[in-house]
Amino acid sequence: MLQILSTKQLTTRFIHTASGEASQGMIIGCIHSSFWSVSSFAASNVLGGLTRKHITLFTGCPLPRDRFTTSVQGARILNKKEMAVRQASLGGVDVDLETKTNVEKLKRGIAEFYDESSGIWEDIWGDHMHHGFYDPNSTISLSDHRAAQVRMIEEALKFASVPEDPMKKPKSIVDVGCGIGGSSQYLARKYGTECTGITLSPVQAERARALAAAQGLENKVSFEVADALNQPFPDGKFDLVWSMESGEHMPEKAKFVNELARVAAPGARIIIVTWCHRNLSSSEQSLNPDENKLLDKICDAYYLPTWCSTDDYVKLLQSLSLQDIKAADWSEYVAPFWPAVIRSALTWKGITSLILSGWKTIKGAMVMPLMMKGYKKGLIKFAIITCRKPE
Amino acid sequence: MRLLTHNMLSSNIKGVTNGFPLRIEVEKVVEKSVDFNPDFLKNMFAKIEYKALVEASRIMGYAELPDHAEPSMLESDDFLRKFHHALMELHLEEGTLVCPETGRRFPVNKGVPNMLLHEDEV
Repeated sequence: MLQILSTKQLTTRFIHTASGEASQGMIIGCIHSSFWSVSSFAASNVLGGLTRKHITLFTGCPLPRDRFTTSVQGARILNKKEMAVRQASLGGVDVDLETKTNVEKLKRGIAEFYDESSGIWEDIWGDHMHHGFYDPNSTISLSDHRAAQVRMIEEALKFASVPEDPMKKPKSIVDVGCGIGGSSQYLARKYGTECTGITLSPVQAERARALAAAQGLENKVSFEVADALNQPFPDGKFDLVWSMESGEHMPEKAKFVNELARVAAPGARIIIVTWCHRNLSSSEQSLNPDENKLLDKICDAYYLPTWCSTDDYVKLLQSLSLQDIKAADWSEYVAPFWPAVIRSALTWKGITSLILSGWKTIKGAMVMPLMMKGYKKGLIKFAIITCRKPE
Repeated sequence: MRLLTHNMLSSNIKGVTNGFPLRIEVEKVVEKSVDFNPDFLKNMFAKIEYKALVEASRIMGYAELPDHAEPSMLESDDFLRKFHHALMELHLEEGTLVCPETGRRFPVNKGVPNMLLHEDEV
């Protein structure tokens, strides 16, 4: 039986549903369950192609099923020339055609998702499209979230020990998966240097440019539409390589990490803050079916390829002989974030904006409780992985 | 797109060994005034490919930058101002960047270059 609920009641019940508490006769609940029967079908078709096929990494090692890593020994960062020679000698294809097509579809989906959704996010949350960093068990008001998002950037820089000394601080920065340029602006201002951002979304690039100009930073930050897996830069260009919550979109993790390392200058720091799944124990080959099912639903709505673990990233960085590799699980520091986003979506402004934005954005909003569920089960981890390229 | 940005972009199409610098085809150039910052410029001088900057600035309609430059010239205010103008104040709003090896064209719209490669180029 449907009831008319106030926004506050809706919010509370919506969050309780996400936490697994039973409820009946809820408006959101009805929409939620019918939505999943449609989307699961779509998810299994798009992503099944990606996970079942072998993906040959640049090193030529076939991947074990469902994992984006490999037991690479003695791999090293290929520079542009080497990559070109290698691709030519391999006869041109590192991945089979069906996988390539799925990857292209994924990239288009990502671009379209952000073309459609960036505006509404910016309207409600501002120009940082990433989690805030919170003290565990603190109570936060909505206005503190922006400060938390800024704190996330600072904590990441601190974790990676990025120098602030004028002689040693970064002089050129790349923001890989830059969104509407929140991090780019912040980093350029902090270090007083130039930063360039890349995104698959032309709408985001244009918006990022306009926002930077409005802040008087047009001379310090620039944006290009480009692919993180094929960055349009020569080798060794940047002192700081920044990837804040974009890694989860990358369909070929090894290629993604190789590109981050390639464009990093000697001595540069690479910072990856991303969504991972829990590390597998030594007896496990993959996540269990229920866990995969949950992640598949999230993948479909957010245009994510198969997830990997924090350990997978560490192994990739190790295989490229990068130094000072550090990794941490920051899930406890981001716990207040999704409930806050859900609350903001269920305000009058949130609901009307969602209705006006488009189906992709609405789908993304519907999936938010699943993110909370994933964190609660210890399946989803908010990870930071950093390292330094040798001099 | 400022020439500082142009100076860091290259074509990474499969098989291309030297995709830098990208050739510029101009449709619309806009000159934007930017605060003069000598320290920033001195830092940038070490990082950029000067020859590519000179060629690019000529195509954008600015011919004042000397063909060659030494770090010692950074002490000259006159040179610094020309360097500043070329690097920071000339914007390609609309145009195309062309791969020097393959001739592949990358559009620049509203000052944003689109460097996405097609499936068969990666």
